[in-house]
Amino acid sequence: MSFVEISRLAKHYGDNRIFHDIDIQVQQGEWVTLLGPSGCGKSTLLRCIAGLTDVDNGHIRVEGEDITHTAPQKRGIGMVFQSYALFPNMTVAQNIAFGLKMQRCAPEEMKDRVADVIGLVELKGKEAHYPHELSGGQRQRVALARALVVEPRILLLDEPLSALDARIRKHLREQLREIQTRLHLTTIFVTHDQEEAMTLSDRIFVMNHGKIVQQGTAEAVYTQPASEFVARFMGSCNLLDAEQSQRLFGRAIDGHLAIRPEAIRLIRPQQDSSDTLPGIVMRHQLLGNVIRYEVESRGSVLWVDRLNRGADELMPSGMQVQLHVKNEDLREVH
Amino acid sequence: MQAKTWHRCMVTGLGGLLAIPVVATLLYSLSSEWGATLLPDGLTFGWYVQLWHDPRFLTAFGHSLAICLGTLFLSTVVIVPAVFVTFYRFPGLNRLMNVLILMPFAIPPVVSSVGMLQLYADGPLPLIGTPWVLIGCYFTIVLPFIYRALANSLGGMNLRDLMDAAHLLGATTPRAFLSVILPSLKPGLMASLFLSFSFLLGEFVFANMLVGTRYETLQVYLYNVRQTSGHFTSAVVMSYFLFTLALTWLAARLGKIGSQ
Repeated sequence: MSFVEISRLAKHYGDNRIFHDIDIQVQQGEWVTLLGPSGCGKSTLLRCIAGLTDVDNGHIRVEGEDITHTAPQKRGIGMVFQSYALFPNMTVAQNIAFGLKMQRCAPEEMKDRVADVIGLVELKGKEAHYPHELSGGQRQRVALARALVVEPRILLLDEPLSALDARIRKHLREQLREIQTRLHLTTIFVTHDQEEAMTLSDRIFVMNHGKIVQQGTAEAVYTQPASEFVARFMGSCNLLDAEQSQRLFGRAIDGHLAIRPEAIRLIRPQQDSSDTLPGIVMRHQLLGNVIRYEVESRGSVLWVDRLNRGADELMPSGMQVQLHVKNEDLREVH
Repeated sequence: MQAKTWHRCMVTGLGGLLAIPVVATLLYSLSSEWGATLLPDGLTFGWYVQLWHDPRFLTAFGHSLAICLGTLFLSTVVIVPAVFVTFYRFPGLNRLMNVLILMPFAIPPVVSSVGMLQLYADGPLPLIGTPWVLIGCYFTIVLPFIYRALANSLGGMNLRDLMDAAHLLGATTPRAFLSVILPSLKPGLMASLFLSFSFLLGEFVFANMLVGTRYETLQVYLYNVRQTSGHFTSAVVMSYFLFTLALTWLAARLGKIGSQ
């Protein structure tokens, strides 16, 4: 039996179907991510799990207990909000102690637990500060500490990193994952950032138009997209229609052929190879450690990613090249 | 530099012009006699001593304070939960409330007081001449001030997330409201209460028409003693003015602390 079981969950607002037929199983200590574009229903689903929004159909079970209609106070769920939702009239220590106060925890125990969790999120010395005196990253850590101190059964994270700048976001997501692993805490994370999802998750549930369109490990979802939507949403992808597929690879398909840019090898023309496609470099983009080439081949333009190894290996625009793709890297999607 | 000097002269001149009636009233309230001469014959606190020993003035002042405090208490008890419920449960009602709170400004006081005279003179609620009608009437006057101040405070905070966070941490809705939302509303609420208090203390039209001398307030008292002595009425005006000034300053201070 899974630690969290969500079965046939559905939510409507009038005629507007937010999500339906949601089935999710989460194991204890697992980090699961709900990934999808804005408006796909992932945040509403998270709110339903928290009990902050009612569901129309289906069940939510935690450790076998049906909590579908249980009040949020009694679910044993901690949540970190996108806005952090720190209480502006309370100091860091008071914010963190709020949940323990509601549980009528003894003052001595409360003090110890608050100190422990402050140490865990590296906020020592900030106990007496008010939220407005903290940076975005520090606020996010207070929100996490406040959710963790009550020792929840499940931790819900609603895009907690989206308001932070790139450098802090990267540091905090490593810290989040480390704390989650250390506490062996079952975590459901919502994001629209596929890189964040792939970095952090044990499993990813990709959502679109209120449905789960694919689930699996980050690697499986990335390398074996089940649909055109997933292929496009999870990183960059070359999507060829039936006619292009036939022309380039001699493959007859119904839907689209998905090829990741890094799965295509660019070979200099002097290296002879029989199973390659001829191409011309149209232009290139520097993406940091990767250079993305736009290569025209038999009337189609393909993205090709190569490691940036310096100016010597840069292929200039107009250069004749050959393209090679392994058969297993060609994936038909619908 | 010249522009700056010009600007400073204009502001000083305008300030001086506005201060003239206040300074003149203050001087008149402190002068023993000021008749045909350019300057007063002498200075005295006598008028203030006489005023603050007048039982009728003290009663009227007490009546004004009681009505103002009663109104503000009623307003706080009714409007604070109403604004919270509007924003938290029925945000769509905010538009209706914004129209509703303009009504006291849309109808001239003389018109609405005549209406109230007809409505409350007899019948099931004969309230004319009692402080209750004034408290009810003043409630509608301060509603826009308090509602707007609270609406601004609530609009500036992430109410739903704060309430949700408190709920998930184990708080009930009333507990979350009292522990998290109300303290954040306090600076705005206090500033609006002080401003309303200053405004109500100076209100004359409703007080005179609905209650008159049956429950004499400060402004009605001032109106009734206007024939006795100019120095005496100046002392009344200055006492009221200084009291209101102190309250306004306090409201500004509270607003500043709140915004910090």
